Amino acid sequence: MILQWNHLPRKTSAASVQDIVASLQTMLEEGCLEQDQFASLCVHLDWIQYKQNFREAVTVVPYAGEHTAASPLYEVHVDLRQAGPGALRVAMQHAMGAAHAGFGHHPAPNAEGVALEDFQPFRSSIAWRFNWLYWQRLADWEQSTGRGYEEALPGGKSDANHPQAVADGVADFWTLARDLEVKNQLPAELFVLEIGVGMGTRAGLWLDRFHKLDRERGTNYYSRVRFLLGDYSPATLERSKAAVRAHMDRCSFVVLDALNPMQTLSFLRHKVLHIHLTNVYDNLPDEEMARRDGRLHLVEVRAYLPTADAERIANEFELAARELPRAIERLLEVGPEHFPDRSRGVAFWQQVWAAMRLEERMVCADDVSPEALPGDLDLARLEELLGEAPSDLRFHVNSGALESFRNTLPLLSTRGYLQVQDIFVTHWNEYQLGFHGPGKLDGSIVNWVNGALLRETAERAGYDVHFAPFRYREGSRTSMLYTTQRE
Amino acid sequence: MKLPMIPTSVVGSYSMPGWLERLKTEYFARRISRHDLEEIHDNAVKAAIKDQEVAGVDVITDGEMRRDNMMDYFLERLPGVQIDRSSKKFYYDFYNCSVQGKLPMAPLGVADDFRFLRKFTEHEAKFCVTGPHALTKRIHNEFYPSEEALAMDLARALNLELKELVKAGARLIQIDEPYYSGFPDDLTWGVKVLNALVEGVDAKIAVHICYGNRYGKPSWEGSYRYLFPRILEAKVDQLTLEFARRGGEDLDLFREFKPAFELGVGVIDVKTQAVETPDMVAERIRKALEFVPAERVTAMPDCGCFHLPRDVAFAKLCAMVEGARIVRKELGH
Repeated sequence: MILQWNHLPRKTSAASVQDIVASLQTMLEEGCLEQDQFASLCVHLDWIQYKQNFREAVTVVPYAGEHTAASPLYEVHVDLRQAGPGALRVAMQHAMGAAHAGFGHHPAPNAEGVALEDFQPFRSSIAWRFNWLYWQRLADWEQSTGRGYEEALPGGKSDANHPQAVADGVADFWTLARDLEVKNQLPAELFVLEIGVGMGTRAGLWLDRFHKLDRERGTNYYSRVRFLLGDYSPATLERSKAAVRAHMDRCSFVVLDALNPMQTLSFLRHKVLHIHLTNVYDNLPDEEMARRDGRLHLVEVRAYLPTADAERIANEFELAARELPRAIERLLEVGPEHFPDRSRGVAFWQQVWAAMRLEERMVCADDVSPEALPGDLDLARLEELLGEAPSDLRFHVNSGALESFRNTLPLLSTRGYLQVQDIFVTHWNEYQLGFHGPGKLDGSIVNWVNGALLRETAERAGYDVHFAPFRYREGSRTSMLYTTQRE
Repeated sequence: MKLPMIPTSVVGSYSMPGWLERLKTEYFARRISRHDLEEIHDNAVKAAIKDQEVAGVDVITDGEMRRDNMMDYFLERLPGVQIDRSSKKFYYDFYNCSVQGKLPMAPLGVADDFRFLRKFTEHEAKFCVTGPHALTKRIHNEFYPSEEALAMDLARALNLELKELVKAGARLIQIDEPYYSGFPDDLTWGVKVLNALVEGVDAKIAVHICYGNRYGKPSWEGSYRYLFPRILEAKVDQLTLEFARRGGEDLDLFREFKPAFELGVGVIDVKTQAVETPDMVAERIRKALEFVPAERVTAMPDCGCFHLPRDVAFAKLCAMVEGARIVRKELGH
């Protein structure tokens, strides 16, 4: 048996580890596990993820398809935050027992609830439709909770709006403009693009600071600035206008898809000097893969509501449990007004979202169609990219972030640069320290971004990618990705 | 082969297939032999030739399938240039290289690649050589007192190779000097070096000057105005310039300075995968004809098609050929 235990500071997990090992030993002795199953078991303890997430305390992940003597039947993931040592033993025995009894059956062992979809890559999951609904109906959600979405962020506000970070960013941009002017290459228009504008706070701070710096230094660059605020939510763009009120003649508000900014802004190809994104990539559809014993597996998910939650929600909203999938579908199609009482519709939405879990299974990548892999990534290319990665790891394939990245870089001018502030796994080796799983942030999805994969992608597009920790707020988990031209 | 009025040509590279990129990288990882790689290159060149012929391009190249990039193909063959073989991660990366002593004068041995091209096509063939100015920018100079001095010796060595190419049957040689646009002040000595390069070479000489195409994106921006009037001193026959992506504004320089050069006019934007229509190409050619007589115009892509997918590159070449045909017809040819 392989036990992967990720030690995290301030987490009292040692007792739990003993408890889990003892539970498994008991299951073996009681005949719940065969000796060969026990030997091939892979148990991962303590995952780095958001407090609100899609997992039970113990998740059993089966391997789909045919099995050989050498291949594992399933692996076990334990979130040590969710249960104390005593409760863990029960959860462990329950999940393992269910898995053992249910192996080879369909639905898979964890599906002790109401399934909301079939197994598929995470990026296609219904979870992302909830995410979409959240951004489209943000005002409804906020009205119900009584707080703005930025308040839900760790720290209660966005790192994007840190005044000193913005000031330093402005200074970098001014220095670039100055250098271009010295070289007689200053364009008539200085295009700046922010994708994912939030409340517009950062854009407002940026323009305030740049205007001030420009006046102080007498350079007259401000009048050349064309600041584009891009977001896929018209409501968000509308709200951002207040924050840039003093600079309206410099600003344009563009509804764009972060996955493909070029589609909307192709007329700015090779013209934008600076592009900034904060906490956008972590909210784009992604999927996960794992390499085990040299073989690549795609992690497929199926959203479900645990039985107890399904019954509770059904009772509260006067539905039969079997009617829940249909009611949820209507919610995602129509929005909370599907219910005659809109506030009740929002309550339904929030309760379903809070209860939703993701069941997982591993599918050998050789068995999945090429379309299951994102963009121009195929297995051969992925194997090539994983050349320097540890042999055994589970990782993100952030297809949304990759797509966005690829479709943003062509906008950059020859001296232009991209900055992305987000939660990155910056090196393959970090995946060995713990899997950084997807979480829920209010009604949205938040997931770590595979920076190592972005770095490889950027190199092929002619950019070097660098990561710097966000040093302006102690304890911040975000890093800053920035690009430089590659020779 | 007699060329039509407003012939079509390519700048040099053709679409680099993904499978060839992988095999080149396999070679660097020592998983396939040099012999196998050369055989693979031979086949890739034949395919590139065939695509250009089928598209109807009048003057073709070998697609530069053998080249890792425009620099290393020459630098690793230049006697006296020290190459750090460990400095590449991906085949397309540039080697780190240096010059630590005076360069010996000897040809590079690329003429065999031209002979291969000649063997497999009856179309007019062109061979492209990266110019000494561009090569100088990739060499860490530890010996020569100035970039100009290094470039001049590179020109002398390359001159021997150009003469070998002529012996192999080359009638049209293109010198690639994209770095002029990044270092316009160097033109004060760049033209002198260029003239040394082509001295005594009995072939039609073209010079390709663009704004860079590394990774399929421009390296610099600006106006071709920096070329004039100094470029008029260049002893070359044709300038091939990029106009499709940048627009034809700089064509006016041909009216203003009245150079005697032929013009290879860029009518295909190689930095986008959007395929031009023949009408769009025809319009770009017509625009060029306002400034240069048709007898001196060749229609070409802005730069090499290296970064374009094969189907896109092929479709673009077809559009270029058809666009030129439209204009020829309008001119009664």
